[in-house]
Amino acid sequence: MTSATKRKLISTLKAYLFLTPFLALFVFLVIYPIGLGAKLSLYGQRGARMWYVGFDNYSRIFRDTRFWEAFKIPAFLLIVQVPLMLLLATIVSLLYETRKRDGLVYRFLYYLPYCIPGIVAGIVWSYIFSDSMSPFRPLLDFLGYENMKILTRPSVPAILLIIILWEFTGYTAFVIYSSLISIPKEYSEAAQLDGAGFWQIAFKIKIPLLKDVLITLFIFNAIGAMQVFNEPWMLGGLVVLPNNYTPAMYIYTSAFSQGRFTYAAAMGMILACITFIFSLYVLRTATKQVLRHRS
Amino acid sequence: MNRRKLVAIAVTLILLALAVYFIFPFYWLVVGTTKDVGQLFQKSLLPGVPNRFAENVQKVFTYENGVFFKWLGNSILYATVGSIVGVVIASMAGFAFRRYDFFLKKPLFVLVLGFSMVPGYATTLPLFMMFRNLNLIDTRWAVLLPSFVNIFGVYMMVAYWNQITDEVFAAAEIDGANDFIIFLKVGFPNIIPGFITLVLLAFVGVWNNYFLPLVVLNSRARMPLILGITTITDPQGFPVYNLTLTASFFTILPLLIIFISLQRYFKPQLFIG
Repeated sequence: MTSATKRKLISTLKAYLFLTPFLALFVFLVIYPIGLGAKLSLYGQRGARMWYVGFDNYSRIFRDTRFWEAFKIPAFLLIVQVPLMLLLATIVSLLYETRKRDGLVYRFLYYLPYCIPGIVAGIVWSYIFSDSMSPFRPLLDFLGYENMKILTRPSVPAILLIIILWEFTGYTAFVIYSSLISIPKEYSEAAQLDGAGFWQIAFKIKIPLLKDVLITLFIFNAIGAMQVFNEPWMLGGLVVLPNNYTPAMYIYTSAFSQGRFTYAAAMGMILACITFIFSLYVLRTATKQVLRHRS
Repeated sequence: MNRRKLVAIAVTLILLALAVYFIFPFYWLVVGTTKDVGQLFQKSLLPGVPNRFAENVQKVFTYENGVFFKWLGNSILYATVGSIVGVVIASMAGFAFRRYDFFLKKPLFVLVLGFSMVPGYATTLPLFMMFRNLNLIDTRWAVLLPSFVNIFGVYMMVAYWNQITDEVFAAAEIDGANDFIIFLKVGFPNIIPGFITLVLLAFVGVWNNYFLPLVVLNSRARMPLILGITTITDPQGFPVYNLTLTASFFTILPLLIIFISLQRYFKPQLFIG
């Protein structure tokens, strides 16, 4: 055995000593449950009785229109909320930069909602929009819309949009702002000398340099959109929503209200695969960035 | 008035309008805690007259023989133990990835990161089945154990450890320190700010996690606040809006205090950037 291999063996031993607590818990609480979920997804179930059915659950899910209908809300969020939020957050972060003195106050205030759990955000906003408590109700009555209800099933997507933008725009703007201030000043100063205005500098110089951050934020928000649960779940306390309103709600109610565990496990696997595809780009970049090669 | 000044005023107006949007629910929540249900139904933006805050607080605190304090204690237990244990374990794993060149290093890292993207809604269900077989359902372990696995923490820890130069480690090695001493005495003091940031983020994450306790707990006595407050009803099972609002207020109050007093540690942490 060469001494280099020997050295690597020793450092392998040491590395795994430090890794043991994490890897043990990781295998026990992440890998094994996912494996179990994959296995269960191949079983049929009635009560406590289970039997192997192969890909039966998957082919049934494929024909289950209720499952695919559940993706309406994630699709809506992906197409409307995520781009809108990134646009809004980018504009806000550019405005932060123009405010050297009071910018800190705005950054702080806008970031605050991010600390609030989705459940509490859902409670407070659903009350704010409920027709029995809404401060907007007297205003609508005054304008002659006495018969127009605020919180109805068709209005829930718009309300979700308001809640989710409220929760994450400030945080997103802060992330974008953090990379904005790392752009060397010389770039925009040089452009300014060439006669470029604020928006020209923003669109031609700054935003292209924010590409990586914006892509990462887009992916994380897309993943979040696929999994939305807490906010519609709390809104469901005040307006009747179908149990397949979002994929996560459908999986949860299938398993715990209807006891269809193996069917729900198969839906979970499909959701996990969709999420994984979204995350591939982030994984690649993140691995490249952190694991530098050392000799 | 010149154009520059007009633009500045327009920008201020936009920023103020957005500030109203972000602050309004906080205001409405606080005002809501001063009202009983009748006053809430009056839909006013002003505090309740007479002010019912003390009464609401008393009702929340005495609700079901003070179960509120059990929820609070549970939340503190889950969030404190979960965040600290998770980040300590993550810091050891991060150290291994930074310090050593070892077999299967890259595949292992990609595997760990890859699983970080699997949604909780897909893993919580099989986790429930596994805990059921192990008789862990409706125990505190069922909430605590999953919070010990902080994959994002591992990733961030590798980045933090990367900031320590090879020279620091080499110098310690020449002094004859063994690897564990190097981790604890040489390396660790350098990553304390990052450690605090990750503990705070994990603390907030556990405090706010609704789905896991919803799935693995049945007894109200073991619930954290975030789940407990959604179970508040009158004896007939109908929601009591003023109590839910008051309890919500006390659920977010610790978070706001932590955030405001430890603001400098709340830097946004992203996988890249």
